[in-house]
Amino acid sequence: MDIRPPTIAEPPVAQAQPTEPPAGGNRQAELALIVFFLALVATVPIFQAGLELARDGRVEALEIFHRKPTSVNLRAYEHHLEDGSVVARTLRPWFQFAQFAWLRDGGKKALVGRDGWLFYKPGFDDALARGREALSGTNDPVAAIVAFRDALAARGIHLLVLPAPNKSSIYPDKVTSRFAAGRTVLSPTTRQTLARLRAAGVEYVDLFAAFAQARTNSASRGAPALYLAQDSHWSPAGVAIAARIVARRLVELGWVRKGAMEYQERAAPVKHLGDILRMLRSPGLERRTVPERVPCVQVVHGTPAQPYQDNPNSSILILGDSFLRVYEQDEPGSSGLIAHLAKELKQALASLVSDGGASTIVRQELYGRPALLKHKRVVIWEFVERDIRLGLEGWQRVPVPPAATGSRD
Amino acid sequence: MVFTTNIFLFYFLPLFLAVYLSLPRAWRNLWITLASYVFYGWWEPWFVCLMMFTTVMDFIWGKVITRPEATPFQRKLAVTACVVTNLSFLGFFKYYMFAAHTLNRLLALVGAEQFHVMKVILPIGISFYTFHSLTYIVDLYRGHATPAKSFTDFSAFVALFPDLVAGPIIRYKTLAAQLARRDSTVSRFASGITIFMIGFAKKILLANPVGHVADAVFNAANPLPLDAWVGVLAYAFQIYFDFCGYSDMAVGLGRMLGFEFPRNFDAPYLAESITDVWRRWHISLSSVLRDYLYFPLGGNRKGPRRTYFNLAVVMLLGGLWHGAKWNFIVWGAYHGGLLGLERRRGKQSLYEDLPRPVRIGFTFLLMLLSWVLFRADNLAAAWHYFGSMFGLLPAAGTAPLLAADIYTPYRLVVMAVCAALVFQPVQAHDWAQRPLTWPRVAVVTPLFLFSVMTMFTQAFNPFIYFQF
Repeated sequence: MDIRPPTIAEPPVAQAQPTEPPAGGNRQAELALIVFFLALVATVPIFQAGLELARDGRVEALEIFHRKPTSVNLRAYEHHLEDGSVVARTLRPWFQFAQFAWLRDGGKKALVGRDGWLFYKPGFDDALARGREALSGTNDPVAAIVAFRDALAARGIHLLVLPAPNKSSIYPDKVTSRFAAGRTVLSPTTRQTLARLRAAGVEYVDLFAAFAQARTNSASRGAPALYLAQDSHWSPAGVAIAARIVARRLVELGWVRKGAMEYQERAAPVKHLGDILRMLRSPGLERRTVPERVPCVQVVHGTPAQPYQDNPNSSILILGDSFLRVYEQDEPGSSGLIAHLAKELKQALASLVSDGGASTIVRQELYGRPALLKHKRVVIWEFVERDIRLGLEGWQRVPVPPAATGSRD
Repeated sequence: MVFTTNIFLFYFLPLFLAVYLSLPRAWRNLWITLASYVFYGWWEPWFVCLMMFTTVMDFIWGKVITRPEATPFQRKLAVTACVVTNLSFLGFFKYYMFAAHTLNRLLALVGAEQFHVMKVILPIGISFYTFHSLTYIVDLYRGHATPAKSFTDFSAFVALFPDLVAGPIIRYKTLAAQLARRDSTVSRFASGITIFMIGFAKKILLANPVGHVADAVFNAANPLPLDAWVGVLAYAFQIYFDFCGYSDMAVGLGRMLGFEFPRNFDAPYLAESITDVWRRWHISLSSVLRDYLYFPLGGNRKGPRRTYFNLAVVMLLGGLWHGAKWNFIVWGAYHGGLLGLERRRGKQSLYEDLPRPVRIGFTFLLMLLSWVLFRADNLAAAWHYFGSMFGLLPAAGTAPLLAADIYTPYRLVVMAVCAALVFQPVQAHDWAQRPLTWPRVAVVTPLFLFSVMTMFTQAFNPFIYFQF
């Protein structure tokens, strides 16, 4: 009978026994390595402390003795040291440049696509992420939208929802050659959310279908792209389509009658360094990149022509994120969705924009500015597709400001 | 604290070494203890209280067990009480929520009222330091070790920061003599630096980038079959270079302090059978499970049936040791089943007669399948992933997008380097064991410098085994 100790692990040589260090190495080489290592790990903090002393008269690392040692404080301290590290801040842009330029790696913020196209990484991740997770509780967009719709309805205001597609949903062929030119995709979460909105009777504008149709047409005609190559936002062409479709939908629903204001258009091209590129925070990269030429179209009225301006007393309020801000508040101004929608509807709109905060923050801001809802008949709520899953502050239920509340604006 | 962070590398380590090397020998263990408590408490300061409590308790139990006047019954009672207490702590912090949720599910099945499950935070590394302490107590009871000469020696052993949170699992008797006396020589220190640098590079330059690939695929909805296989391949590389890198750094740091730790890996992906895998993967855990669980259960001395039963128990508990999830239990059962099959064949694989490269390939394939269980968030996600790997599920419409993220030049180069390193026999640990020469310095110094610079650009990325 086998009486040897049986094994789930019988290491053939050592049974997890320590091994002795090597002997007979080159003493100078050993000393050189030790000096290099100790010098490296000691020089960085000494250099940092010296700089801080010269600059501020105090050493950030010693802050640890002024804080209560809680987990939160320790994390904050550690992040503070990392963020403040001069060595890290000096090296990081160069490394990011090398990673981007030579290895086509854009880190956590950017995804390098085809033909010079860049994609905002969180939006790309959103398109891929599992759709099986339940979006529930304070993170359920449909519940928040329905609650907002009902609260507005109680005040006699209609709600039109406008999800702005992720760039990678409309241009998957610029992400990877696995997609045929002109194809678009819909993530499982977005598909599910749109279906739930339909089921809940929420009125929304399906820009996914509209942009897909536009891409099919533009592929044959060589029309301008609907999104910018280096930026996460839509192009003037995308803005124009969105404005047209939203306006048409509002009229079809009978919620809005076209006004009498005659707006004109004038060319206002700008050179634009995309936000995705800027997120990489690599000055070297920015210097080496040719800014995109964006053929903006400014909405003007009157003689001499004045750029479009909002009217807070309008019966239409549009809420949203940076998709409303681009070309409207950024240069050249009055060339974004708000201005073009106003032109389509022949009337000025009221607007409230919160960068990255369309899921919850913009409604919180609205609650703090009740005058914006005065005289309103329609609210258009724009949010970017990725916010369905990744909305900042989730999808909280935020009450609509009461009608009687006085203005604080 | 994580070895591959700014705070450890540029603040904790130089400060620790400066004080350690300037202290007289008699004070060094005390300094190790204090510094290790800072290192450990960096995550959550109150974790240190728990560790201090169990350390004091185990030290006292050790004294009780080794009292000259203690009767065999008293010694048995003491070791039982100590083991039960330690495992109770481990069980509560690591398995309470899992057990309570499982019980609630059973109650729901029979329609009974469910109870409130309180949220318990898992102290990092508790599995490792509990095992450290248990080896001390059991070895004292068996007469395989002598009691710690002082509380400082024992607390330094339990808290020793290089191996504290992710191993290797070191037995007290391995370090007992070194705790009392260890030599710090230039060669030893330089050798420690070499191994540390190599481990650091493994984590930063290999494990983290391939981990990105694995995360991207495992988090994606229904990936394409090819991508699913690439995802699990990336995870196989990630977990190896992450854990092996950590072990290398632990061995290197230990050596800088004059300690000699056992190696934890021996080219595991060159294993020719699952039995062989467990001689090469996480060697310190498998040998502890063998000596402290398999042998006490009777090993193979009680007949074939009992042997298979013992194997199954050891592997199931080995799986459960990794985490309180059903997928770890199934992972353990999978390995236990394969080990049982191989045992029936005289510890030979089912494909023993095939050429060696094919045997290695088959074993690696079996490992890949097991890594799906290990990596998936839960058992349902693991089955889902298997479905994607074998084309049993339709791929999501967005699935082809993954290509842009995982087949970039950067990721492909790193994957290729990983494959080249794991499938060749000269392991970094062996390489670092050789005498240090100028050419070796010329290799490791730029490698480390490049790794440090890369670290600055990477987000916080703790070691996989921290969660265990």
